[in-house]
Amino acid sequence: MPLARRHYSALALLRARWAGSRYWRPLWTGRTLKDHYDVVIVGAGGHGLATAYHLARDHGIKRIAILEKRLVGYGNVGRNTTIVRSNYLLPENHYFYEDALRRWGTLSRDLNYNVMYSPRGVVDLAVSEDEIPAMARRGNALRLAGIDAELLDVAALERAYPQLAPRRVRRFPLAGALVQARGGTVRHDAVAWGYARAASALGVDIIEDCEVTGVRSHADVAEGVETTRGYVRAERILFATAGHTGMIGTMLGVPLPIETHLLQAMVSEPIKPFLDTVMVSVFPGHGETYLSQSDRGGLVMGGHLDGFPSYTREGTWDRMQDVVAGAVDLFPQLAGVKIVRQWAGTNDMTMDGSPIIDRCRYDNVFLNAGWCYGGFKTIPASGAACATLVATGTAPDLIKGYALSRFATGHLLDEPGYGPFPVRL
Amino acid sequence: MTSLSCPFCGVRELAEFAFHKTLPNAGDDPLSAVYLRINQVDDSHEYWQHVRGCRAWLKARRNPSTGEVLEMNLLGAVTS
Ligand SMILES: Cc1cc2nc3c(=O)[nH]c(=O)nc-3n(C[C@H](O)[C@H](O)[C@H](O)COP(=O)(O)OP(=O)(O)OC[C@H]3O[C@@H](n4cnc5c(N)ncnc54)[C@H](O)[C@@H]3O)c2cc1C
Ligand SMILES: [Zn+2]
Repeated sequence: MPLARRHYSALALLRARWAGSRYWRPLWTGRTLKDHYDVVIVGAGGHGLATAYHLARDHGIKRIAILEKRLVGYGNVGRNTTIVRSNYLLPENHYFYEDALRRWGTLSRDLNYNVMYSPRGVVDLAVSEDEIPAMARRGNALRLAGIDAELLDVAALERAYPQLAPRRVRRFPLAGALVQARGGTVRHDAVAWGYARAASALGVDIIEDCEVTGVRSHADVAEGVETTRGYVRAERILFATAGHTGMIGTMLGVPLPIETHLLQAMVSEPIKPFLDTVMVSVFPGHGETYLSQSDRGGLVMGGHLDGFPSYTREGTWDRMQDVVAGAVDLFPQLAGVKIVRQWAGTNDMTMDGSPIIDRCRYDNVFLNAGWCYGGFKTIPASGAACATLVATGTAPDLIKGYALSRFATGHLLDEPGYGPFPVRL
Repeated sequence: MTSLSCPFCGVRELAEFAFHKTLPNAGDDPLSAVYLRINQVDDSHEYWQHVRGCRAWLKARRNPSTGEVLEMNLLGAVTS
């Protein structure tokens, strides 16, 4: 039996001071794989972990396993640029993302683990007058839904963010911004560790280094999963495999509306406090740059997808150049700052850019996927809603729009209006 | 992958090329043809365009797990 976890508090810190480092326990303990579970979750990323936590906490399901082919936190949950926001245009999206944003506000308390939610604001910059009407439309849609959004003109932008000096001569002159003040950042690793610790404390078996390689079925009911550690029987199976969901489609024998693309991120050497918000800028025909400053001082930056199917997790040089060029165009004062690390993650890009939380192929097999490049911010909402779907068999209203059938019926949730391609030509 | 080779223009920077779609379609019905994708882990057949160059449409075979380009031909050209 694993040792009980320690409750984190100021008192615990004091106790540990006297008891020594042995006072602390592992966040989740290595359990052995059993041969039968009520629910098997494939993938210990943010969505798999959060769903396990809610299945155990809200639905009282006892026998749950999370099978992870590598280690907790090695997927996209630990590779993203940590931005959280709910400023999406379409109602099906903004209510769901808003549910997540509200949950971030209390998650540290709920999990008894500091996930460092920092509502430092997300500033979407407009680099031409033509973008302002679209921003105003999105802002109005959000405000009608009770979600905060504020449209700034150049003068207001200058007052709020002097480091931008909007009147500076630049390649893409700033025209204004749409700001979501409650958006911000959350420490991504802490989200994985916090959910893993809380799920483990509720009795969930987290099994690392265990890859699911197949599904066994009989008469159109899935009976269990083949893994690199042997066969495991399961009453229900949830795939929360993010960037590897295309492979799950192959495994289940169903083509999915998903292509796997790389998104990269990079971080600079630490510099003095410079940027107390998240800045996002899309340069027409050129690229995209978003950046924020971590507590350690590094500038965390990202941009567009690399643009073609890939599982390499490498990231192309020219996309990195785009991102950096965009950052320097916004803030010329950053030109001498060095990039010290760069990495990429595989993204499960859907054909309308919105997620899929639904049954797949079998009545007792579920899919939580299609998070594209934006699924970190939704983890707390996705975990709660997906747990309800898996436990009760019925999707709660919040995720009804995320059914797989929307691609057949035409009820797409295409935020940017690109059409059925994860990337534009 | 840092560059691709266009049959007309030779080896050019990756930024000049745009990926369009994987081949073949998952089926003949509109849903499969437009939205569904066959996941190709190590031998992916794709449409590309040399969009910031000669604008030729290209047909590629790549290994998405390694980044290796296996073949790059003009669209419509006969391949071995
Ligand atoms: C560079 C980058 C920046 C991003 N920035 C942001 C951002 O700022 N804000 C935001 O909201 N989102 C962002 N995202 C997107 C976000 O990180 C992902 O959408 C989200 O983390 C995906 O869900 P997850 O955490 O469950 O995935 P993951 O952590 O990838 O979890 C999936 C897990 O499944 C495991 N797995 C796969 N196949 C199998 C198998 N067969 N058997 C067992 N295990 C398996 C994998 O090993 C992995 O651990 C970014 C992504 C990237 C790559
Ligand atoms: Zn060419």
